[in-house]
Amino acid sequence: MRKTVQRYYPLFPVFAAYFILFLVGKNVSGMWQLVSTLLFYCALGQAFNIFLGMTGYVDFGYVAFMGVGTYGMAIAITRLAHVEALGVLIVAIGFAMALVMAALLSVAVGAVALRLRGAYFAIATIGVNEGFRFLIEGAKIWNGSDGMIFTAQLNQILGRETASALSTFWADVIVLIIAVLAAFVTLFYMKSKIGYALTALREDEDAAVVMGINVTKYKIIAFITSASFAGLVGATSWALKTPYVFPPEVFEIHYTIEAIIIVLLGGAGTLLGPVAGALIYGISKYYLSIFLPGFQLLIFAPIIIIIIILFPEGVIGMLKKSFRDSTLMRFII
Amino acid sequence: MVLLRLENVTKRFGGLVAVNRVSLKINSGEFVGIVGPNGSGKTTLFNLISGVYFPDKGDVFFEGKNITRLPPYKRAPLGLGRTFQIPRPFGSATVRENVAVGAMFGSLGGKINVDESLELADQIIERIGLGEHRKKRASTLTAVEKKMMEIARALAMKPKLLLMDEAMAGMHPKDIDQTVSLIKQIAVEENIAIVAMVEHIMRAVLGMAEKVIVLHQGSKLVDAPTKEALEDSRVVEVYLGRPLEE
Repeated sequence: MRKTVQRYYPLFPVFAAYFILFLVGKNVSGMWQLVSTLLFYCALGQAFNIFLGMTGYVDFGYVAFMGVGTYGMAIAITRLAHVEALGVLIVAIGFAMALVMAALLSVAVGAVALRLRGAYFAIATIGVNEGFRFLIEGAKIWNGSDGMIFTAQLNQILGRETASALSTFWADVIVLIIAVLAAFVTLFYMKSKIGYALTALREDEDAAVVMGINVTKYKIIAFITSASFAGLVGATSWALKTPYVFPPEVFEIHYTIEAIIIVLLGGAGTLLGPVAGALIYGISKYYLSIFLPGFQLLIFAPIIIIIIILFPEGVIGMLKKSFRDSTLMRFII
Repeated sequence: MVLLRLENVTKRFGGLVAVNRVSLKINSGEFVGIVGPNGSGKTTLFNLISGVYFPDKGDVFFEGKNITRLPPYKRAPLGLGRTFQIPRPFGSATVRENVAVGAMFGSLGGKINVDESLELADQIIERIGLGEHRKKRASTLTAVEKKMMEIARALAMKPKLLLMDEAMAGMHPKDIDQTVSLIKQIAVEENIAIVAMVEHIMRAVLGMAEKVIVLHQGSKLVDAPTKEALEDSRVVEVYLGRPLEE
C-alpha cells in the first residue's frame, strides 16, 4: 500500500504547480488571461510528451489531432443543438467525438507512418497536417474553408450566461483537468511495462525488438494516447472557448512547433518537464510580447537555442541528473 | 533433446552468400562455440537465429516449432536471448531498469509484473557482480561493465537458448575466466543452452564449450566436440594457414 502511494509522489510537484497557477489566476486581477494560456501550454506539453517524450519520435503533424478534436466538438454542437432533451449532454458527446476522431486519425496515421524510423517518421508526418487541412477545404468536408461557427447553438444549449462563463473560465478549468489526467496517464505508463518498453525502444529500437518488445504496438499505444489528449485539448481550448473553427486556424503547424519546444525545454520523457517547459515558454512569450512587441521571436529563438545547448535533456532532465541521489528526487521524475 | 535446429539455411546479401546451406543442432543445456575468422558468417548466423534477418532458403526450428519467419520480438518469449558484440544498453535507464526489461519481455513475459521484474533484476545484478552499480545510468558504465550488464539483461529473460556475441572481447583474461565459470554455473542451474560466438578469445571457448562449430566463408567447416574440432587440420589451416612444406 505504502509503495503504491510512493509511486504517485512525483505527481505532487505537478499538481502543486497547477494549483498555484489556478490560485494566482483566480485571485490576482488581470492574470486569468495569462494563466489560461499557460494551462493550455501545460496540457499541450503533457499530452505531446506521452508520444514525443516517451518514444523519442517527433510528430510534426501533431496539431492535426487538436484540429480534428475541435471539429469533433463543433460537429456535435451544430448537429445536435436542436435536440433539446440532450441539453448539456451535447458537450459530453462532443468530447467523446473529439476523443474518437483524434484516436481514429492517429490509428490511420500511425499504421502507416510508425513503420518508419526516426527522421523518416518526422518527415512523413509533416504532410499529415497540411494534407488534412487541404482535404477539408478542397473536398468541402465539414463546410470546407467556410468553417463552422456555433456561438448561437452553444448559447442555445447552455444559455447565454453559462456559455459566456464557459468561454472565459470553465473551459480553462476543463483544460486544467485534461492536463491533470494526462499527467496521471504519463506516470501510470512510466511505472508499467508500457513505460519500460517505450524507454527501451527510444534508446535502441533494434535491441528492444530482440529482447521481446513489440515496438510497433507500444509506439501506437503512446501515439493514440497522446493524440486522444490532443483531441480533448482542441475540443476545449479551440471549440468551447472560442465557438468557431476554420481549417487554417486549427491546422496550423505553429502549435506543433510550440509543443515540441515546450517538451524539449522542460525535459522530454519526464513527468514534470512539460509543466516546466510550458511555464518558461508561456511566461517569457507573454512578457516579451508586452515589452518588446514584434521582437519576441527574434529574442526568443536565441534563448531557446542557449537553453537547449546548456541543458540538452531539458531543465528537469538536468535537475534529475545533478540531484540523482537526494530524497527530493523521489518527487521528480 | 534438440532445442534449436537449422536446416540448410542460406542468406545472401546481393551477390555475397553470407551463410551457405548451414545445418546444425543445438541440444538443451549444451554449450557450443561458434568459431570462425572475420567475415565467416557468424554474426549473420546469429541474426538468422534471433530473427533480425529471415533466411532466403532453409528453415529454423526452435523446440520443434518452425520459427523461420517469426519476428524477433516473438522469439524472445519462446526463450531465445542474445547479447550484442558491441553492447547496446538503454542508456538513459538505470542498470536495474535495463535488466528488468529483460525479465518483463523475455520468457517470463506475461507471468511477471513490474515489481517482480525489478526484484528478479536485483538478484541477477547481484549475482553477476554489478550490485554497486544498480542505480547508475547504463550510459555511465565502463565498457566491461556494459558487457556484464548485457549478460545480466539476457539472463533475466530466462532463456532456454542464449546467443552470446563476442561477449567477452576486451576483457582481462582473469575476468574472462571468472565470467565464464559464472555463466557456466548459471547455465547449468537453469538448463540454458549457450551458443557463444568467438573470433579471438579461444580461451573462453576452450574453457567450457562442449562442441565447436567452425564456419568458413559462410559454410560449416567442422562440427565436432571441442578438442577434436580444434585439432582438425582444416581448422588449423583456416586460422593459421597451411604449414610450410619442409
